[in-house]
Amino acid sequence: MASSNPAGSLLKPCVKCRAQEATLDSRSQAVCRDCFTKFIAAKCIKQIGLLAKETPTPHYGQPRRFVVGLSLGPCSAALVHLLNENVDFQLARSRPAPFTITAVYVDPHPARKAEDDILEGYRQRYPRFTFKRDDDDGKLDAMLNSLPSAASRSDIVRLLTRHILLAEAVSHDAQALLLGHSTTALAELTLAETAKGRGFSLPWVMRDGVVDVVVSRPPSSSLTSSPSPNQPALLPPPKETKTKKMLIYHPLRDALRKELITYLSLVDNPPPLLTTHIHHTADNDKADKKVVSHKDLSIDEVMIRYFADVEKEYPSVVANVARTTGKLVRLLSGDSSSSQKLCGLCGAPLDESGDERWRGELGIQIQEEDHGEGEDGSGSGNKKGGVCYGCERSVRG
Amino acid sequence: MAPALCAVCKTARALIKRPKNHSKLCKTCFIEVFEDEVHHTITSSQLFFPGERVAIGASGGKDSTVLASVLKTLNERHNYGLDLVLLSIDEGIKGYRDDSLETVKRNAVQYDMPLKVVGYDELYGWTMDQVVETIGKKGNCTYCGVFRRQALDRGAKMLGIKHVVTGHNADDVAETVLMNLLRGDMARLSRSTSIVTGNNSSEVKRSKPLKYSYEKEIVLYAHHKKLDYFSTECIYSPEAFRGSARSLIKQLERVRPSAILDIVRSGEDMARLVPGESPSSCSCKGKSKAPAEVAEDDIGGCGSQNGRNPGNEMAVMDKQLRENEEHEAHEIDVAKSTPRNEGGTANKKWELPVRTAAVASKVVKGQVLGNCKRCGYMSSQDICQACTLLDGLNKNRAQIQI
Ligand SMILES: [Zn+2]
Ligand SMILES: [Zn+2]
Ligand SMILES: [Zn+2]
Repeated sequence: MASSNPAGSLLKPCVKCRAQEATLDSRSQAVCRDCFTKFIAAKCIKQIGLLAKETPTPHYGQPRRFVVGLSLGPCSAALVHLLNENVDFQLARSRPAPFTITAVYVDPHPARKAEDDILEGYRQRYPRFTFKRDDDDGKLDAMLNSLPSAASRSDIVRLLTRHILLAEAVSHDAQALLLGHSTTALAELTLAETAKGRGFSLPWVMRDGVVDVVVSRPPSSSLTSSPSPNQPALLPPPKETKTKKMLIYHPLRDALRKELITYLSLVDNPPPLLTTHIHHTADNDKADKKVVSHKDLSIDEVMIRYFADVEKEYPSVVANVARTTGKLVRLLSGDSSSSQKLCGLCGAPLDESGDERWRGELGIQIQEEDHGEGEDGSGSGNKKGGVCYGCERSVRG
Repeated sequence: MAPALCAVCKTARALIKRPKNHSKLCKTCFIEVFEDEVHHTITSSQLFFPGERVAIGASGGKDSTVLASVLKTLNERHNYGLDLVLLSIDEGIKGYRDDSLETVKRNAVQYDMPLKVVGYDELYGWTMDQVVETIGKKGNCTYCGVFRRQALDRGAKMLGIKHVVTGHNADDVAETVLMNLLRGDMARLSRSTSIVTGNNSSEVKRSKPLKYSYEKEIVLYAHHKKLDYFSTECIYSPEAFRGSARSLIKQLERVRPSAILDIVRSGEDMARLVPGESPSSCSCKGKSKAPAEVAEDDIGGCGSQNGRNPGNEMAVMDKQLRENEEHEAHEIDVAKSTPRNEGGTANKKWELPVRTAAVASKVVKGQVLGNCKRCGYMSSQDICQACTLLDGLNKNRAQIQI
């Protein structure tokens, strides 16, 4: 059997190349380092190839323009690295660079040194790409402080980050916004959005495709800091909004988070990571699973912890979640001139009669009779403020 | 600190913090609010018609006992005009149902409702004890689960009743939504979220009036109304996906109390997004009331194995999926030469055919629901699972007799 094996002395030959020692487990196959990195790169390149077909070059011989969402965590770092490899590959063959990249880090906090240092590290490591920080002049930070809970802040940061990235993509006249979501991240997103009452907008969040971007106002102006911590004031959506279309793409949707982390550990000179992201990995489990009060946890964090476990034991189940929900259809025609009202915060279509019925199921009618001390102490405030079910929940706690 | 006053009546002391939204209520107001919300569910979903005969699936447990109590109260308060009957199933496991059946018998007296106990022997010709004798302990969960799923319908049919209500609560529904997401079973997810199940051609429809009630509030209601129910630990451990979903929901509820209902809401909305499910089942467009939807009942609830293997379902599925992936990888190699995608963005709106349609339809195609040719129960096969199992059992019995 080993006759065709050029290195018959291998203890455990890689099942793919049979030429090197297998040191890694890749989806239950023992592979070598080179074959593993090739495997991950291939997953990304396949998606980039599909994306290239969706986005014709602006002018002959000119590169495409993409904006990449940067979180300073491992997945978007892997994406930047893989895109850079792709450019290297083309240039080495004397072909023109296939695309230019502007990577944007959306920071809800006022400028912090750790993040700046990391961005500087990126600039030095990938000089062909542009790296940018969008902290929205601290407006976001002020607004977030007015929200009632960690879970609420996390929900809104996620929404606004997406808005800001889309706005950046539009302002750079990019042909697509690339997001670094791994299979695992997409599965987390599916269950997190479901738990936030946002099941209806899942197809817009999960799938590759075109979305409307409101460009007539800065996204963060839809929320202003509010007088009471329980009732963030919400402005109704402006009467006249100009929308542009933007293609969102997830080139790493076929790779698990743990695979991307392994990938980064194998490449030469990997990009720097923000340490707060590292505890989300399955590799260093027990130590960082210190009990955190659920008051300080967000829905997103609960899901990250949950899927770190599932990914370890049942990676194909994770992949299946992402794959299946990716097939939900987008129900509305997307004709922005239609009378369909959209949520002033997340832009999802509003379902007013459904919301009305649901207020009964939530027991909100009763609360509206009490203007007193009820923690939800809601009432008329933002009820007619034109936000969807999910955003109403997010803003309240 | 002065004792907080009830948020509704503002006179009595608030003794209860509602699990649903943490509002603080007195005992009387909590009971009233709980009942009002179930009334809202019943009217907004148009569950009943005046004069309807309705069987309450009664196990003696907290959910079905609260359901019976609330329905009796609301039926009298709002003149629903319902003819309510308690329907209990006896699986025929010696000793297992004794206490719970005693509870149901007391409930029948307390609520002044007729009670009908139907045994597996009457429904299937087999008690569970006899099944175990025949096939051994191993695998009998499959039988119990499948038989249990149909027992209420068959029992109601025997009584000539066309509507069975069950005590499934919001936690059960939310659990089923997450479980089916984890399983990647969108067809089942979309069916499991509707409040009414069973299609018009099926003889018995089922509904869940407590679909929006929190399990914790059901327990509080039973406690404060001093209801007589039988509390027992479920003897089955839930299968892996359900168990996993259940623990996840407990954590989410701690982060945000509304999470359970938020998941139910998402599940209902996602049901409309599943390819192949008719958008007309949308419960909101242009109507102030949600028409009762019909679908297969798919909530296993506690103790139901739904006829699946009791082993670690997650591990089994993971293995299965991995084998499929390897298989598909080979197929893609063959298909490499054919372009997967044609045309640019020019005329494309909304849906970029990036993922191939063929793959999409494979998974979400879903089974077409029909009726079992033998017993008439809803089934995606010609012969339903229960009848198939019965065939096997009866063959066995025949052999033994020979
Ligand atoms: Zn190799
Ligand atoms: Zn919204
Ligand atoms: Zn009161």
